[in-house]
Amino acid sequence: MKTTLPRQPCLTAPLGWGLVGLGAIVLSLLAAGLFQRELINIDGFPQLWQFLQAAMHPDLSQNLLQVTLSATVTTFAYAVCGTLFSLILGTIGGILVSEVWWESVFSRRQRRTASSLWHSIRFLLAVPRAIHELIWGLFFINLWGLDPLTAVLAIAIPFGAITAKVFAEILDETPRQPLDALLNSGVSAPIAFCYGLLPLAGLNLVSYAFYRFECSIRSAAVLGIIGAGGLGYEILLSLQSLQYEQLWTFFYALFVLNGLVDFGSAWLRRYLNCANRLELNLPSAQRSPRQSVAHTQPSHRHAIQRSLIGLTLLGLTVFSFWSVHANYSKLWASRTRQLLGELARSSLPPDWSLLPQLLPLSIQTVAMSMLAIALAGLGGMLLAFPSASNSLLSGGVLNPVRPNYWAMAGRLLTRTILLMARAIPAPIWALVALFVLFPGILPGAIALGIHNLGILGRLKAETIENLDPRPLEALKAQGAPGSLVFLYGVLPLSLPRFLAYDLYRWEVCMRETVIVGLVGAGGLGRLLTEQLSSFDYRGTIVTLAGFLLLTFLVDAISAQVRRSLR
Amino acid sequence: MTIAPLFELKHVSHRFEHFPALTDINLQLYPGERIALVGSSGAGKSTLLRLLNGTLSPSEGEVWALGCNLNQLSPRRLRQVQRQIGTIYQQFHLIDTLRVIHNVNAGHLGRWSLPKALLSLLVPLEVETAARALAQVGIPDKLYARTDRLSGGEQQRVAIARVLVQNPLAILADEPIASLDPERSREVMALLRSLGEQTGQTLIVSLHDVAMARQYCQRLIGLRQGELVFDTLTEQVTPTMFDALYRLEP
Repeated sequence: MKTTLPRQPCLTAPLGWGLVGLGAIVLSLLAAGLFQRELINIDGFPQLWQFLQAAMHPDLSQNLLQVTLSATVTTFAYAVCGTLFSLILGTIGGILVSEVWWESVFSRRQRRTASSLWHSIRFLLAVPRAIHELIWGLFFINLWGLDPLTAVLAIAIPFGAITAKVFAEILDETPRQPLDALLNSGVSAPIAFCYGLLPLAGLNLVSYAFYRFECSIRSAAVLGIIGAGGLGYEILLSLQSLQYEQLWTFFYALFVLNGLVDFGSAWLRRYLNCANRLELNLPSAQRSPRQSVAHTQPSHRHAIQRSLIGLTLLGLTVFSFWSVHANYSKLWASRTRQLLGELARSSLPPDWSLLPQLLPLSIQTVAMSMLAIALAGLGGMLLAFPSASNSLLSGGVLNPVRPNYWAMAGRLLTRTILLMARAIPAPIWALVALFVLFPGILPGAIALGIHNLGILGRLKAETIENLDPRPLEALKAQGAPGSLVFLYGVLPLSLPRFLAYDLYRWEVCMRETVIVGLVGAGGLGRLLTEQLSSFDYRGTIVTLAGFLLLTFLVDAISAQVRRSLR
Repeated sequence: MTIAPLFELKHVSHRFEHFPALTDINLQLYPGERIALVGSSGAGKSTLLRLLNGTLSPSEGEVWALGCNLNQLSPRRLRQVQRQIGTIYQQFHLIDTLRVIHNVNAGHLGRWSLPKALLSLLVPLEVETAARALAQVGIPDKLYARTDRLSGGEQQRVAIARVLVQNPLAILADEPIASLDPERSREVMALLRSLGEQTGQTLIVSLHDVAMARQYCQRLIGLRQGELVFDTLTEQVTPTMFDALYRLEP
């Protein structure tokens, strides 16, 4: 008997998008000048070698170590202050733009008028979010000079807007029945929020706050490059004066700082049993099942531990504010108002004559972001598997039962590579790439790719560690060897999540093209930084508008692809 | 004439941390039998099944399957034995993001080489075998559907189709119907029984529904708090035996 088999669908959404993505990457490579002009600068290799050799003997003189320590403290303190302000802004903004708040506060009849207001507020928040910290920094420098306030606000404003968006999403995704029960029994909206919604969303909010802090540390290092001080600044200075031994001392400080912060944040999130950061972005169906940790009653010891952690965090915050010592009165000083007014006047009318120039630069920018995310996504994935604790170590899903020292060494090595990749700011990677590459979007893309590879690799390793082990054990139980458990279990379970992360990160890469533009990697970022530092506000406003448009476009495409891959 | 048992447990005990899951179990399970493990949740049914399919090693005692002591096998030999043991789970444990065809084909993984398995992910191989298995479980049209788009009952059928493709000597089923509604439950149990009858495969299924166990199985093994309470043919079981099984702690 011949049964008719169902026909295999020819072009599925993933395959279609895969082909589109591949085509776009090839086009981007062409835009980067591959096969068309000389890309590699052979003369630069001796210098690169010199640079790499210096890693072996960093400058450990007492004088420099003191500089390193104070620079590390500065970077850390900027990050703490920036994070705190961004969390305050983000909490207020997040509640105000969450759907659940508007629906609780306004009656059904009022809601129609409210909804247009809501949409415009949401749109307004998208603007500060799309502009990179560095651009904010350059803008504030024009206002206040190199005051610490510049660095703190440059982190606080864009991060505040991002936090607001994510907090709003978290609040909207939190089960609403307890809140509705309170509201329906006549409790006022703010009180109902405090009792019925915030406690439920609390853990996710906290988890995101820790993640924001990890990002702030990296941002604070980048901001050093525009002169705000800290490790980024010292690194740039020694790179420019070819003091590679000093450079590596600062690099090592940055590794330690990033490593400690990432480790501490991950430890705290595990301790509090929070969700993985990027999982917050995924629809609940795609999340990996939360490991149910048997929660015992909070014991006495537990309470002491918690208050110790709280006190430590508080102490670090107070110390940071004390050491940054920003002049907050500048915020409301009349001179600031005056300068802002002047700025607004001098940016009008916009210099529309730039428009023809913007199109090729926009294409360059998008090409750079695509190449960067392709490198980061692929490289991050390849490094994530050996660095995940459950894949190759004994007792893991692909376990050889005996302890596997090669796997342990591989894990340590890949973790170190990932940490180095993300600890060093992208502009510094770009300058290193420029040793051996001719200027253009390729070194920019490589720099962004390496930096984001470190971030994505770590998140992907976390994802692998959080995979539901039961389907994998089911495969093992029927006698499938480790390689096939990987192929039919680990890979298909993690790949869709990886792709979702990559698409999210693509948006970030797009924003970050600005910061490699600063060191000459091309694209809109370069034009923007040039205009800002030459006080050409009429041009700045046009370039910025173009950049915003591009960012929104990338956001929309990324969201569309994620939806159809779901 | 004696037939060698397919599975044999000799003084098997298992502890998780300090919690005793199974205590001093002796059992012989023969080819072609249809056996139900009954008992309340926490009685040790799942642990017993995991010992039988080699995913767990006992703290004490020996588990023999197909004439081999499972604890003493090399990983490679263990896999060879495991190929002959298929398992179905309450939560299905399929790879959600793969299409049905690949989940069904996963039944081949004990035999397939790496290149063949890799190729099949790109261009599905042995499609007709998979289609036949799906037709047998009643969902022939789902061959290329994404697994996470199927209903619970359909996913359990995919899991059974995977075991059909694996074609083992014994099928273990851990609460296969606990997540399904009564109608689906009856269908799945009837399907499992007909498999045993057609191919002579041994069926060992853990159930907490006693009525189902009596209706579909020939031999009942009662577990209570990790201890063997009874092991008897279905027609010889008495209501007092079940009372002993589910009675609350005195």
